[in-house]
Amino acid sequence: MKQFIFEAKQKQFLMGLMALGAVCLVLSYIFEPDSIAEAGFHQRFWSNLLHNGAFFTGMAFMTTFVIAAFVTAYSGWHVMFKRLWEAFSLFLIVGLVIFVLLGLGNVFHLHHLYHWAAEGITDPSSPNFDEVIAGKAGFLNNGWYIGGTLLIGGLWYFIARRMRQLSVQEDIDGDKVENFAYHRKIRFWAALFLPIAAFTGPALIWQWVMSVDAHWYSTLFAWYSMASWFLAACSLTILLLIYLKSLGYFEKVTVEHLHDLGKYMFAFSIFWTYCWFSQYMLIWYGNVGEETIYFKERLTHYPVLFYGNLFVNFALPFLILMRNTTKRRKGTLVFTAILVFIGHWWDYFYMIKPGTLITAQEAAHAGAHEAAQHGAAGFVAGFTIPGLLELGIMLGFVGLFIYVVFHHLSKVSLDPVNDPYYEESVHHEVQPYE
Amino acid sequence: MKSHSKKVLFGLYNDEEELMAAISGAKSKHLNIMDVYSPFPIHGMEKILGLEESRLHIVGFIFGMIGTLTAFLGMTWIFTSDWPTIFGGKPYFSLPAFVPIIFELTVLFSAIAMTVVFYIVCGLGFGVDNPILDDRITDDKFCLAFQTNDLSGTDVSNIKKFLKESGAAEIHEKEV
Amino acid sequence: MSASVSRIREPLVLGNKSYHQITEDLVGPTEKTPDRMWVIAFILSVSLFAYGMFALIWTFYFGIGSWNLNRTIGWGYDITNFVWWIGIGHAGTLISAILLLFRQRWRTGVNRAAEAMTIFAVMCAGLFPATHTGRPWFDFFMFPYPNTRGPLWVNFNSPLLWDLFAISTYFTVSLLFWYTGLVPDFASVRDRAKGIRKKIYAFVSMGWTGAAKHWQRHEYLSLVLAGIATPLVLSVHTIVSFDFATAVVPGWHTTIFPPYFVAGAIFSGFAMVQTLMVITRKAFRLQEYITVNHIESMNKVILVTGTMVGSAYLIELFIAWYSGYIYEQFAFYNRVLGPYFWAYIGMMGCNLLSPQVFWSKKIRRSVFWTFLMSIFVNIGMWFERFVIIATTLAKDFLPSSWSYYWPSWVEIGIYLGTIGLFFTLYLIFARVAPVVAIAEVKHILKQYGDQYLGPNAKEHHQEQSEKAH
Repeated sequence: MKQFIFEAKQKQFLMGLMALGAVCLVLSYIFEPDSIAEAGFHQRFWSNLLHNGAFFTGMAFMTTFVIAAFVTAYSGWHVMFKRLWEAFSLFLIVGLVIFVLLGLGNVFHLHHLYHWAAEGITDPSSPNFDEVIAGKAGFLNNGWYIGGTLLIGGLWYFIARRMRQLSVQEDIDGDKVENFAYHRKIRFWAALFLPIAAFTGPALIWQWVMSVDAHWYSTLFAWYSMASWFLAACSLTILLLIYLKSLGYFEKVTVEHLHDLGKYMFAFSIFWTYCWFSQYMLIWYGNVGEETIYFKERLTHYPVLFYGNLFVNFALPFLILMRNTTKRRKGTLVFTAILVFIGHWWDYFYMIKPGTLITAQEAAHAGAHEAAQHGAAGFVAGFTIPGLLELGIMLGFVGLFIYVVFHHLSKVSLDPVNDPYYEESVHHEVQPYE
Repeated sequence: MKSHSKKVLFGLYNDEEELMAAISGAKSKHLNIMDVYSPFPIHGMEKILGLEESRLHIVGFIFGMIGTLTAFLGMTWIFTSDWPTIFGGKPYFSLPAFVPIIFELTVLFSAIAMTVVFYIVCGLGFGVDNPILDDRITDDKFCLAFQTNDLSGTDVSNIKKFLKESGAAEIHEKEV
Repeated sequence: MSASVSRIREPLVLGNKSYHQITEDLVGPTEKTPDRMWVIAFILSVSLFAYGMFALIWTFYFGIGSWNLNRTIGWGYDITNFVWWIGIGHAGTLISAILLLFRQRWRTGVNRAAEAMTIFAVMCAGLFPATHTGRPWFDFFMFPYPNTRGPLWVNFNSPLLWDLFAISTYFTVSLLFWYTGLVPDFASVRDRAKGIRKKIYAFVSMGWTGAAKHWQRHEYLSLVLAGIATPLVLSVHTIVSFDFATAVVPGWHTTIFPPYFVAGAIFSGFAMVQTLMVITRKAFRLQEYITVNHIESMNKVILVTGTMVGSAYLIELFIAWYSGYIYEQFAFYNRVLGPYFWAYIGMMGCNLLSPQVFWSKKIRRSVFWTFLMSIFVNIGMWFERFVIIATTLAKDFLPSSWSYYWPSWVEIGIYLGTIGLFFTLYLIFARVAPVVAIAEVKHILKQYGDQYLGPNAKEHHQEQSEKAH
């Protein structure tokens, strides 16, 4: 079947997920952890929005990045399912809406996700004044938070859309144009996108995620979180492909393609661990207080998050996907893909939640520094580990993401027959000796 | 090794596709192929010949694990009981600092073991003098070889006929 | 059998080659007496190496004092050159292993020479820390072994020791990988040789016959070794970067160092491969095997990694400002505008800016520009290490001990000597072994030969693939 039909049943189901997510989001607005409840920041709600917004938008961004990278590197095997990735990349626009909401929240002090957005933080005469953050004000400020997001994210979206348009147009009359003109145009945009993404990606990651711990910094942080996004996108691709294949779509996507995606999941799990280890080990080894505070906080108060992160994102995929047979068997592949997807969602939870909790506690209790020392003592629902509401919200976002993907998927032919690499992809075989 | 010599009848083909067709033909005629020689690896041949998948990775895995354990247990023993050393205010047992060497030894053990096992199971090594059927096999000829020691005259001529029919450019007999 | 190949791809073997012609072309150079250019190059390299040996012996005799290292500047030329060489030594395994896994077929034209280069570069690199210990005859102390000094072990927690492990492992595995790949090609040389050459090549080709089972295992071994060599090659430069980043020195202690060093290593490694390949393909008339298409692909890798390294420079710079940590800020201020500003300009100019010319397809495909840029990048990456090491150490925590480092003739001599050593070894290699992997080129001929693919193709791949399926 070349044309994907977005059936009413699927729509209902995805709407149901979104409704569940919305309900959980509202509930998380109401059920604030005790230690910060009186302040009325609704930190749980906002941090959930930030967490899922960053995670799902990033997946769309990394998919665009991977499309661009594959096109420039003359990859041929993936074109059988490139429509799926193109649909992923268009989620960027939804992400931008979420971040504009978060940015407006900053402006009107609706939340305390970011310590740097607090009132008077850059004003030497204010009791809230923070010298370090004042030094960063050129980057961490409300204007750039919204402006940068719109500018950079808009650029990403523009290129993602352009690449998809050309790719869809190629389907229609690509066989009539000379010399693969459409593909060459896509390659132009792809090549352009790579350096743009390399320079702007970190900027957005820093202000969206890293600045949650406003004092802390790590140069590797952006590359580390990009690896995490890629893994999430890769695992969701595997899951959706297997699902859509079971409905009869993508029949030319064979076990060989899935095997290769499995390889990517395996290899990038190791790469992610490499980034994780480099960041952790260097900070641990150097033992500079300003830096170790990040891990100290997480190791002391969030051990489940900390070790769970490593276990689910490194140990399990590494051990399961080591053998070739597990990458070719649907059962194991689906199982690992679900693990990896949740694992990286967990990873973003781990990056965002501890920082937002401390920020809220500092703001809630006047003696900011005392609060910082105490950190998140004991168990804090929705922060120490993901609670039921968080899981519901994740499902809601999964529903939203898939809804957007299916919506775009249903508009075009699934079979990119005029792609110059079409034949290669059809005959793709993971030969043992390649 | 060379206790008694082997009589080998072999055909040389000019192209790997002809060779592949010939192997399939020989298999369907139930001829007992001694070996196939080629100047470069041919994909899909292992399936036609029915070769089992190599198990070298198991060797690699086992020795890799030995490497991991050697490094991990070695450093743990040295730094926690044999000669405890404090560095940078860290505990004696500092796992993050052990990771690089653990990784390196894993790779080292596994790579050396796999390569050594490869040469041993293939019977290759410095000074090994395996018989060469034809000097052009490492150049541009593809060779299908049969052992004819225990075969009757009719069988041998059958094989010759088969080689000729399957398109062998040259047919030779050689004692090695 | 032969997988289908898109018509958008370019052929990788030109000149309508037959299998026999490939053997002829690639084994040929090892069978002829060297020409005059080779002899001149060899004499030059050996003399450079001899000069380096002289400087080295000078160092051993008079001690490290003959180097211009001084208080606070404990690392100078020695470690700069060590890191530079190790970086260059990354391309070989990268081309063979990572490009193998990513199915970039153009690697077949260059992988053998690149692997050889890797091994020689690692040898050159190893010389520097070995000498820098001051008493190199005691270097075996670095290995953990039961000794007469009581139960005194080496410090396994020291990044410098990790380095020892990483580099020894890398050297060993690269050697195994390279040599195992060479065995079938040595057999090709053997079967054409006569007399004493035949005996020698029979010995080094280990009795290779080309049997199906051997090929199968050989391919499998290459694949698994490639699989484990990939994290290994990442780990080596990562651990070199740990040498710096575990320290609390501002400008060194930064978490992006590991991947950024790796990207830089790939960058400089490819540049050195280009330098060598441009010369080799001309000298041995291998333009049909190392085509302009190969050169263009490598130039793209240089552009990508150059931009990655450049983005890491900017990330570092930005985070130095962002950190709000005045010593970090000073370290970077000092790099950009301090006494070594020229090195910083050299680094930025050669590494980030100059590869950007490769956006132009014309320049990417020009042999002259490729050669020029490869030299630029080699220089730029040398500057990068110099910037990181000398600039940082020259102005450390105590302003009273600030100084300016400049190498002595002995240090320069050793550096030149390693360049001589490198080229001497490479020239010998190019004489005695096929510089292009024969079996691998034959293997891709039917998919990527220009009689099968591209404008001169006689039969189209589509028919080819249909026949196969």
